[in-house]
Amino acid sequence: MKLPTWSSLALLSLLPSACLAHSQHTSNWAVLVSTSRFWFNYRHLANVLSMYRTVKRLGIPDSQIILMLSDDVACNPRNTFPGTVYNNADRAIDLYGDNIEVDYRGYEVTVENFIRLLTDRVPPDTPRSKRLLTDDRSNIFIYMTGHGGNEFLKFQDAEEISAFDIADAFQQMFEKKRYNEMLFMIDTCQANTMYSKFYSPNILATGSSELDQSSYSHHADNDVGVAVIDRYTYFNLEYLETHVKNASSKHTLADLFNSYDPVKIASTPGIRTDLFRRDLSEVLITDFLGNVQNVEVDGDGMILDEDLLALARSAGYNITEQEWKDAMTGGYHEKTKEERDDVVGEQRTWEGPARVHKDRESDFWRNVMSAGAVGVCFVGYWVFSMIDKV
Amino acid sequence: MALRVPVNLRKNLSVVLYAFQGLSILAVIVGLASLLLLPLDEYSRRTYISENALLPGQVHAYFGGSEQNIVRAFRREVDLLGNSTSDVVSERMAEIFRSAGLKVGKQRYSYKAAGGEYTGENVYAVLHAPRGDATEAIVLCAPWKNIDHLLNEGGVALTLALSRYFKRWSLWSKDIIFLISSDARAGPQAWVDAYHDLHGENIQSLSVKSGAIQGVVVVDYPGAYHRFESLHIIYDGINGQLPNLDLINTAVQISRDQMGLRTDLQEMWDHNDGYRHRLRTMLRGMVNQALGHSTGPHSSFIPYHIDAITLATHGDGGWHDEGSLGRTVESVFRSLNNLLEHFHQSFFFYLLMAPKRFVSIGTYLPSAMLLAVGLTLTAIRLWVDPRSRSGEVGEKVEEVKEKSEKGEKGKEGKAGEVVAVDVGPKRELFLPMSIVIGVHFCGVIPFAVFNSVDYKSMSSAFYIFIAASVILPTLISILITLTASPHRLLPAFHLSRCFSLLFLGMFLSTLATLNFSLSFLIGLFSLPLTFARTTPKSVPLALLNSILLQVTSPFAALFIIAGYWGLGVEDILKEASFGWWVWRMWTPVVVWCVWWPAWVVGRISVDSSFVMAAMGKTG
Repeated sequence: MKLPTWSSLALLSLLPSACLAHSQHTSNWAVLVSTSRFWFNYRHLANVLSMYRTVKRLGIPDSQIILMLSDDVACNPRNTFPGTVYNNADRAIDLYGDNIEVDYRGYEVTVENFIRLLTDRVPPDTPRSKRLLTDDRSNIFIYMTGHGGNEFLKFQDAEEISAFDIADAFQQMFEKKRYNEMLFMIDTCQANTMYSKFYSPNILATGSSELDQSSYSHHADNDVGVAVIDRYTYFNLEYLETHVKNASSKHTLADLFNSYDPVKIASTPGIRTDLFRRDLSEVLITDFLGNVQNVEVDGDGMILDEDLLALARSAGYNITEQEWKDAMTGGYHEKTKEERDDVVGEQRTWEGPARVHKDRESDFWRNVMSAGAVGVCFVGYWVFSMIDKV
Repeated sequence: MALRVPVNLRKNLSVVLYAFQGLSILAVIVGLASLLLLPLDEYSRRTYISENALLPGQVHAYFGGSEQNIVRAFRREVDLLGNSTSDVVSERMAEIFRSAGLKVGKQRYSYKAAGGEYTGENVYAVLHAPRGDATEAIVLCAPWKNIDHLLNEGGVALTLALSRYFKRWSLWSKDIIFLISSDARAGPQAWVDAYHDLHGENIQSLSVKSGAIQGVVVVDYPGAYHRFESLHIIYDGINGQLPNLDLINTAVQISRDQMGLRTDLQEMWDHNDGYRHRLRTMLRGMVNQALGHSTGPHSSFIPYHIDAITLATHGDGGWHDEGSLGRTVESVFRSLNNLLEHFHQSFFFYLLMAPKRFVSIGTYLPSAMLLAVGLTLTAIRLWVDPRSRSGEVGEKVEEVKEKSEKGEKGKEGKAGEVVAVDVGPKRELFLPMSIVIGVHFCGVIPFAVFNSVDYKSMSSAFYIFIAASVILPTLISILITLTASPHRLLPAFHLSRCFSLLFLGMFLSTLATLNFSLSFLIGLFSLPLTFARTTPKSVPLALLNSILLQVTSPFAALFIIAGYWGLGVEDILKEASFGWWVWRMWTPVVVWCVWWPAWVVGRISVDSSFVMAAMGKTG
């Protein structure tokens, strides 16, 4: 009887340290959105379904994935291979398979529904599959793709969401304690402008292209007759497929971000870390894209620790309180941090992620031009009113 | 805003008159020059695909291999039917379509125009999109006889083969209609009219229909020889309407970039993309547009806002065969199949000058507009000109002016104002108005005559009409000179020119937005009307003007067009009559009811100089 009690106590004592070492999340959620309609936007659907496949592969269950598809290209009459969606011309993986659960489809994919989903301001009769049932211990991965512009993203060719809308929605989520940490990934034209307005804590954001840059497709399938995937998503997937084999992968987001090659992607991907507390080299990819079930113990962990200390002392170990606390705060992790310092150095080479405008000079000239236009209008008005008086 | 004309200008009108004259000459020169500048790189643009949905050339086309043998078998079939009546042909075609598992319809039609009867039987088949919703359709058409009355062996055989081939694909979002029209001119018109339930009584209704037609591709591949050099894309529609530029760009991009097949426009077989070739392509396009006639079976579809082109093969020395053409058509159809809504993105008003170079309406419109503005400015100048006023009231004002000048100095200022505010002598409008309106009503006569006369008597009717048009203005001017009082004669002719030019200028600027080329060409031919005036004091000048007017008359234009095509004038008139009755072509209306009256009014003013000189009423 004594031995099991001891071992279980030891196990319990390890748990708080484990929680401190990793992020303190207890659930993983993913919101995957394809905002564009129409057959020729096949690739956006393939992007999202590829991400869907990846997060499912890394363990997030369908109940914790909100999949929003604004169009159904699989059953489009133009599809040479009915009921399928491929993300590669080799057509090795049918993304649409028999194992897919779409939560919002067709005309349900609207800006309103997206924001209601994030902030959980949904009608009372909304089914669970259409709700983001997260709390302050949930890590959320949000992936969006479609046609975007400077600080907006088109939904269905009918409306658009602005960078401010998303930023405010995230702030509401923060205030309502709906997330622990969030990874926002977006693949559109001028994608980096979309996360420039975020101001809520613990959000990490990455996008495919900066202001005035287009985001390009990777390749087309000549039998389906459309481009099947975008470059940024393609290279993200390539890394995830080749490196992150399963949910126990120890690859970090720093590794993923360092794999981005602006030449291959044909646009400059951006990363915004200023709202994020942790060092990227400590953040596992599976913290967001995988499902790691951390368990949180109710109550104050320190009381437990004191009990353990008392136990240890009664067992004859002579330990000071300070030594015990040091052991508890996990000093051994500092070693790994040093080990990865070089990686961190590389990570810092990314240009300021929050910078949206290319340079201040062009900004200045834009202002001068608009002031000039207003001036010309005024002078014109004045001249004509003078003529009128004459 | 009160516009104040300085008093000086009132007194000294010649400044205003010269300014108007200068402006109108400048407008004409700039208008002509800007047209000649269009083919330059700086003014024209490269074509581009505007509609994202089209994705031209992004699919592999698989037509070929054994399909080619099927085409050749159908070729033999068509060849055997070459001399058969349309009944036999349509029955056999229907049989072939039925054996491919398609719904088949037949349609008899009969048109009467220029004393001739045009009959035939169209046959068509509908391939319902296996997964589509049958609300839209695209048409593949092959006329049995092409526009040059040659048996369209390759085109019909290819259409039959493609109907079997397309049936095997399950990716169509729109129904596909295969139409074998009995000829290239009346047949497609009868079919498309009946498709929209707008057909006349001698045209059968269609028994099978599908959804709204989104695009039409016509295959014109005549002759027994299989090989061809290049693809001739024909795009002019009735009344100078054009299909959406995206459709042409799609066809050009697919045939050039995907199939390696040269494309030609407007029969320019050796286009080197230089200035002269671009200009010639553009001018040929403008002539076709101005005439507004049908250039192929596709032309009949365009007035229904259905974008259509004809793909005609050219030459027989090349290495392309029915496989290349079939793949091109297949790829174009895959692009049309991708369409999500009607063609709307790209231009409907454009001038093509090379397969990949065009100018849009914003660039070319000013040249026709400036010609019309030149006419309008001249009309305004004629109105302002004091010669438009009859003398009587003018004399009174002169008297007032003289009196005030002779009077006390204190009143001088006031007197000056009186002169400035006074509208001056009156213009007598009744006579010039009745001339202009009367002559325009007369325009109905040639229009009615040429649209009802038989082909046999067409040329005699035409020569009688020329004689009448030569005599009529002289007769009218004699009549007016005899009846009206001498001091009213010059102002009357002056004002009639003014109204006539004003109407012509307004009409041409409106027409320029619809049919640029027709407006431009009529504007060009009407330029002598701006300076051909009544000159009773100088008979040689009048003679010169008279000759100029004859050279630029509508008849001269008819002779030029007839010479351009090597046809007789009666053939052109027959074509015009056929166009009016079958295609609802408006060109004859514009020529006889707008241009001819303007020309007659011009002739009246010039001829009156001879009459006045002869009668000694030189004013």
